[in-house]
Amino acid sequence: MSEERRNTEGNAAVDKTEESSRRNFLKEMGTGTLLGAAALLTGSDDAEAKATWAEWFQKNWRLMTDEEKKEAIARLETRYSEEYGKKVAVDGSPAMKDVLFGYALNIQKCIGCRRCVHACVKENNQSRYNTEIQWIRVIRMEKGNFLPENMDKGYPKGEGDTAYKGKDYGIQVGGNAYGPAGVTLEGQHYYQPELVPEKEAFYFPMQCMQCEKPPCVKVCPVRTTYRDPDGIVVIDYNWCIGCRMCMAACPYWARRFNWGAPNLPKDEMNPQTHYLGNRPRMRGVVEKCTFCIQRSRKGRYTACVEVCPVGARKFGNLLDPESEVRKILEKKKVFRLKAELNTYPKFFYFID
Amino acid sequence: MKNIKFSIFILIVLLTGGLLVHKIVYSQEQTGQQKAAEQAAPSQQAEQPKTAQGEQPVTDCFESRMPVDGKSYTSVIRVENAVSQFGYPNVKCSKTTGGVLWWGDPYDGTAAMGDMPALADDDYTKGDYAKEEAVTKPRDAKLMYFNLDPNKNCALCHDGKVVPFPKDKNPRLLNAHQDVVANSLQLMHGRAAFWCLDCHNHASGKANALIDHKGNEISFNQPQKLCGKCHGEVYVDWRMGIHGKRIGSWVKGGKKRWWVCTECHNPHTVQVNRFQPIKPEPAPVLPKGMKNANHEQRGHGSSHTAAAGAHTTKESPAAQH
Repeated sequence: MSEERRNTEGNAAVDKTEESSRRNFLKEMGTGTLLGAAALLTGSDDAEAKATWAEWFQKNWRLMTDEEKKEAIARLETRYSEEYGKKVAVDGSPAMKDVLFGYALNIQKCIGCRRCVHACVKENNQSRYNTEIQWIRVIRMEKGNFLPENMDKGYPKGEGDTAYKGKDYGIQVGGNAYGPAGVTLEGQHYYQPELVPEKEAFYFPMQCMQCEKPPCVKVCPVRTTYRDPDGIVVIDYNWCIGCRMCMAACPYWARRFNWGAPNLPKDEMNPQTHYLGNRPRMRGVVEKCTFCIQRSRKGRYTACVEVCPVGARKFGNLLDPESEVRKILEKKKVFRLKAELNTYPKFFYFID
Repeated sequence: MKNIKFSIFILIVLLTGGLLVHKIVYSQEQTGQQKAAEQAAPSQQAEQPKTAQGEQPVTDCFESRMPVDGKSYTSVIRVENAVSQFGYPNVKCSKTTGGVLWWGDPYDGTAAMGDMPALADDDYTKGDYAKEEAVTKPRDAKLMYFNLDPNKNCALCHDGKVVPFPKDKNPRLLNAHQDVVANSLQLMHGRAAFWCLDCHNHASGKANALIDHKGNEISFNQPQKLCGKCHGEVYVDWRMGIHGKRIGSWVKGGKKRWWVCTECHNPHTVQVNRFQPIKPEPAPVLPKGMKNANHEQRGHGSSHTAAAGAHTTKESPAAQH
């Protein structure tokens, strides 16, 4: 709007002094809000102003009536279709009945190729450049070992009248802050070997765990992030105030913040979106993985599941005893990350 | 005294002169730098937002297994606008590695899997996988050797004579197929308990088929029927969906594309590499101000030295121009 207005206002050389830019800014602000007000009061046909105004004053997604939801979605579809130059569909479908989404990941299989990370970006309309926002992080971890020369290394020092007096207890104690058993490196985010998998490493992907008791939801001061009945923790971006409390609360580093206006090229934009999922975000809101809500609520596997070249990622309905995830919980050795925090993630890690 | 004053004066003159000269040179340098910066990317860690211009999208990419040399049955040709409903291509591929990152239509080029033998424990067959709901990508048409006409092509290696398949299955050195197995005496599958002719055999009368230990013919499209003969546990897991890859619909009874054994594993090298190593996608961009990720290479704790393993963390690709 501002761009167009500036261009149509005659091509008088706009000298880039602070004065003029401030004047422009004020003018834009003035016209914007005035137009909005005018539109609201007089039913003017400035669609853009109307939409902006309406968007500012729309309710939290959960409080909207079906009518209001339809309007909001229609508004967004028009706006996005104009902005990205193609037909954009915004889905507002609620959770399915008798579905609780669960996810399982085989860390023995993961080869650390990061294809899930980039598939997710292709699917979910994250900001692409400067900086690219990624919802999945893959951490390279050194394989532990129980070498004989490490057997008597490690803390704590023995005390009292034991055989270990003054000596290290050694590896049997397990890891500690100074040196976990047999492992010398922290997890690495920026590994870049020629080929993966590497013999001496395993890989640990992390993303939003869609907790049963999500700390992020607990701390959100405006209740814009909440847990839907199918177990997906979602965000109404329009209601988000960007305070980043949820990012501080999340123990899994799953949430990302749009510091700038998201940078999403038109040709890379995925036009199948969901209101609570991958619709283009704005500046100053938090986003995160939503189990590809726009796909999974239509019955399709998430993008990261489909792309994994080794089949390490599994997704399904926890309420269906025949689903992959349920079978995995039945048969395999399963753990949840930071289970001691009682967040009850629905993202399970397993090994064969 | 005079001397001192004079020398100070000289010093000041020299200094100012030096400053002036330096300033001129520096400003020239700066303008040069500015020009260079204008030509290059706007900031150190930002790619040019215009990727579409002048760049052809990757058209030939691989799904799970990397093609060994150029093309193999594991690669797909990207077709623009294949899903006309949304204007999607059939696949989107990674610009850095050529791996498929996204399927427009998960069932593209698939066919019904055919009959699936029930498992002995029928608890695992309850999953409603009717024949039309489980699809795979047929491989028959893409076989490199086995579709050749023996009467015409044996001539290439056998002086124009059709040679019957040998009865003797014992390993011996082969001059052929070294692109598949470099040294036929070192074929490592089943820890050298069996050899090429245990799976590839004309005994069934068909060249483009596999054969199991009882002489039953097995299609190349259903290698699981052969692999499952020895790898029973894995087969059961695969049958339940725990092992291996499936794309499509997660819904119970929904249509899924199953990936068969040989689409992820190469049976000729599987005991060296369970998965053939592939090039990883680029690492995330380093945070602003971080020059490299060398801090990740340092061990923690005083008793430890630098990392095991020879790999080095390079600067993120976006930062290298």
